Amino acid sequence: MITVGVSSDIALGAEHVSHAYGDADALHDVSLHLRRGEIMALVGPSGCGKTTLLRACAGLLSPTSGHIELAGSANAGGAHNAGARIGFVFQEPALLAWRRVEGNAHLLAGPGDAALVDRLLAATGLSAHRRKWPHELSGGMKMRLSLARTLAARPEILLLDEPFGALDQITRHVLHDEFSTLHSEYRFSALMVTHAIDEAVYLADRVLVMSQAPGRIVAEIVVPYARPRATALRFSSGFAALCGETARHLAGSA
Amino acid sequence: MKRAVPALVVLAAIIGGWYALAYSLDNNFASSDGSALIIPPPHRLLEGLNGPTIERIAAATRISLVTAVVGFVLSALLGIVLGIAMSLSRSLASGLWPWLIALQVTPIIVLTPIIVRVVGPSFAARVLVTVLISFFPIASNTLFGLQSVPRALHDVFTLAGSSRMQRLVRLQLPAASPSIFAGLRVAAGLAVIGSIVGDFFFTRGTPGLGRLITYFFLDTRAGPMFVTAFVASLIGLAFFIVVVAANRVCVAPWHRP
Repeated sequence: MITVGVSSDIALGAEHVSHAYGDADALHDVSLHLRRGEIMALVGPSGCGKTTLLRACAGLLSPTSGHIELAGSANAGGAHNAGARIGFVFQEPALLAWRRVEGNAHLLAGPGDAALVDRLLAATGLSAHRRKWPHELSGGMKMRLSLARTLAARPEILLLDEPFGALDQITRHVLHDEFSTLHSEYRFSALMVTHAIDEAVYLADRVLVMSQAPGRIVAEIVVPYARPRATALRFSSGFAALCGETARHLAGSA
Repeated sequence: MKRAVPALVVLAAIIGGWYALAYSLDNNFASSDGSALIIPPPHRLLEGLNGPTIERIAAATRISLVTAVVGFVLSALLGIVLGIAMSLSRSLASGLWPWLIALQVTPIIVLTPIIVRVVGPSFAARVLVTVLISFFPIASNTLFGLQSVPRALHDVFTLAGSSRMQRLVRLQLPAASPSIFAGLRVAAGLAVIGSIVGDFFFTRGTPGLGRLITYFFLDTRAGPMFVTAFVASLIGLAFFIVVVAANRVCVAPWHRP
């Protein structure tokens, strides 16, 4: 069940969410509160129910118990109700192969949002590739397009399911910074599932660590660094310590 | 150009084999006027073609071509509509599927006399035979294509609050189009077969290519028989080219299997 209208600084709340697929428990009593404008990362071993939680937040799945709360919003839309607008970025780019780059970018945009789509294509470096087909793009460009397409719907909340998981390390780091820039410009709240610890710490304000299935939240790590963050942060000892702490919780949970 | 060389080498081999066969068969040229009885060599193919024979072949070609075109178009419509309907209704799909398979595995030639008896030796009967033989690959490929859309793409449309119709038109049909075109390509060949096989059992009216070739066979007119076979082959080729060209325009630019 998803309800709308919790306190004003929480964009999305999960309250005691549990889910089972038949007899298999996937999630156990998970609660989290995503603040407005915050980036929150969820890390956990594979199969711990991260994706299940994300799909429940999006309304793509009804949890067995517990509920999802969305901040009230004037904008209607999304799968479930007239709540905040949710954008979902999938593990794979999920592009429509029969639409050109610009056709994909416009897929979710409103009729008057051509200028926004143009800005997003420029911000993701795709302006020169508007007339290309998805199969002509590199993996990184496909993911950028997927991100631009999702943002063109003006989501207030972005749910991301291992969005950079299929990319090589170099492309991934470039996209981290691009994503941060987009975040500072469009001010969405984001809940990102990942199993890359450095990615979680570099991008998020808070990192939640989940246990082996059935997933529970076993730790919350607050990342104190101000934005914008720069690549140099990756080489600092403080960053390494936070990654280490996250890894320790992850190991303890497995 | 270079790619055509192997095909031309094979063509030369076929023509060589054709000559060898024509001149090595006993009695091939034993007729009173010296014309070939079994296989005319390539350069003598057109010998037996007089005005009336050409007219008969032209009339037969017209009938078979129109039958194949109408049958193919109806097959495409029926196949795609049936595929969509089965994708929308699970019970329709499980109700129809076994009987579609049963129809598909029944050799069309044994159904043709029944159809001619029931419908009468009309144009409709010819078209019906053609449709029965060629709609199945279109229906099954449409259904398969509509059902094979990746889940993430469905999720995108679910999150956008799309209606069933929007999902079908904007997501499933475009995603299924490569598969539908593959079905059309198979069906194009089958439609030509159907239009000719259906003709075998017609005993009245102007003959199509199927019946005409049996006439030439019974008259031992090898030359016109070969020409008729070539015409049938050209119709099949024309169908194939039309479907491939449509695929090249609609699907090939974006589709990478």
